[in-house]
Amino acid sequence: MSPWTWIGQNIGLLWSLVKQNAYLGLMPVLYGTIISVPLGVACARWRWLYGPALSVANALYALPSLALFLILLDYTGLTNNTVIIPLTLFSLSILLPNVVDGLRSVPEPVRQAATAMGFTPLRRLVQVELPIATPIVIAGLRVATVASISLVSVAQLIGIGGLGYLLINGFQLSLYVEVYTGIVLIVALALTADVLLVLARRLLTPWQRRSPRGAAA
Amino acid sequence: MITFENVTKRYPGGTVAVDSLNLEVPAGKIMVLVGPSGCGKTTSLRMINRLVEPTSGRILLDGKDVQTVNPPELRRGIGYVIQQTGLFPHRTIEDNIATVPLLSGWGRAKARARSRELMDLVGLDQAFARRYPYQLSGGQQQRVGVARALAADPPVLLMDEPFSAVDPIVRAALQDELIRLQGELHKTVVLVTHDVEEAIKVGDLVAVFRPGGHLAQVDAPERLLGAPTDDYVRQFVGFDRGIRRLSFFGTTGIALGLEAVASQDQTVAEAVRAAKNTGEQWVLLVDSERKPRGWLSLAMLESLPADTLLASASVEGYGHTFTVGADSLRAALDATVLSRSGRAIGVDDDGRVVGVTSYERLRAAIQEADVAASGGWADATERPGQAAP
Repeated sequence: MSPWTWIGQNIGLLWSLVKQNAYLGLMPVLYGTIISVPLGVACARWRWLYGPALSVANALYALPSLALFLILLDYTGLTNNTVIIPLTLFSLSILLPNVVDGLRSVPEPVRQAATAMGFTPLRRLVQVELPIATPIVIAGLRVATVASISLVSVAQLIGIGGLGYLLINGFQLSLYVEVYTGIVLIVALALTADVLLVLARRLLTPWQRRSPRGAAA
Repeated sequence: MITFENVTKRYPGGTVAVDSLNLEVPAGKIMVLVGPSGCGKTTSLRMINRLVEPTSGRILLDGKDVQTVNPPELRRGIGYVIQQTGLFPHRTIEDNIATVPLLSGWGRAKARARSRELMDLVGLDQAFARRYPYQLSGGQQQRVGVARALAADPPVLLMDEPFSAVDPIVRAALQDELIRLQGELHKTVVLVTHDVEEAIKVGDLVAVFRPGGHLAQVDAPERLLGAPTDDYVRQFVGFDRGIRRLSFFGTTGIALGLEAVASQDQTVAEAVRAAKNTGEQWVLLVDSERKPRGWLSLAMLESLPADTLLASASVEGYGHTFTVGADSLRAALDATVLSRSGRAIGVDDDGRVVGVTSYERLRAAIQEADVAASGGWADATERPGQAAP
């Protein structure tokens, strides 16, 4: 049987697994962003908070994902949440330092000028500091997104793993075309998400100095 | 008008940045705060728009205590320019300039139209409107900084070392630009610098700070050079202050001589006679339009055949001329010092020779200007003509 025949026969299954993997991989990044931005802002503002917050985030990152899936199984059962919650914590641990670094990348003269122009602190945050932090935040989003999309497959060990299904099922049946298809699709999905983020960064930050080759203004 | 009333800033830990400052900045004038680092000049500036809060004392803006106005509102009425420009890297030039109008709730279209107006005012090509700060040179960025500060037409402008980060040529151009703008706008400007030359060039009044946040002297620049109150100020304004003070004196009244002038169609014999009759060692050669060609030395002329036409004689360069009326006594003196003949050529607006200086004539002109400017200095040894080494 040619690989293409198998793929052709299972195209419906593959598409639904891609969608599930994308959903399970991207939702954690979304939630992670929603939590890490205000948390990062707080950490940038109250410096004493950053150390402890970063330690907690790193500890979460060090936890084996499988262990978290298994522990959560008792509380959230066989639902998407059992996958999304641990991956959200992982995304958070990647994104938090990036949000803080991004905010710290705002040059002091810019911050001072904004204050002296009459920005209120909230307006300064929204209109000056967060936009300037965007490139560094997006760099973090890229790492978090790729990691999250590939980690989804680990959750197949509890039965909800998107494209991870192909890996485990393929091994069990010694159907290597299925295993390889799974690997290729996971990588392709991660790369697609990454490319979209790079495009988003270009659109959102046209003000960034381009690489030397494109520097001619 | 900005008034500092007994303003002190003491930081936690006891450092006193500003100590009982009393200072009045008249409306429509440029007040320059100058002094070495750590003298409290920047702290004083920042207390005006409440970036720094005084420990004690009051700062009044047109009679109103700035402490009674909420900071964002206060700041929107005060333009602010800093050395590193502090432009918003993520906003286009036109939106950078429109910052305060947008904050104050003008519509976007009106704010952008205002940006374009300001770009014209500060001499920025409108082609820059949609560009980002990183695409501009340092000097252009600083112009954007000034335009941004002026956008909402605030009566007061604070400038913290605005021209320190650009090269000397651009700096001089920006200083000239500020002087020109001020001639149109009549803002109340407080400018901080550590460069005493800049202070003297742009200031209507200069406040010299000494370390520890004390005022040493507040005066018009010309008074500062002519009558420094003490050794600190004297040293701070520099050893050649007597010479520099001459920039404030014009050349309209200077007596110029025309003793030894010859044209190209005259002969060597005529030139030698002119020199000997006047006791001059140098004859000025002019062309048919009376524009200077150069100096002829008597020694060189005597070595030539008497009937040689002057057009073919070799001349000494005349260095730079000065324009009578437009240039200062300092320019005339400088041209004289640089000239091998010890004479500088004064020209009219079209570059035609009006006459030449001599050290004697300059000395007389300086004395006259001195008397006219001051009505006499308190201490005769302080006469600027004699103070220069």
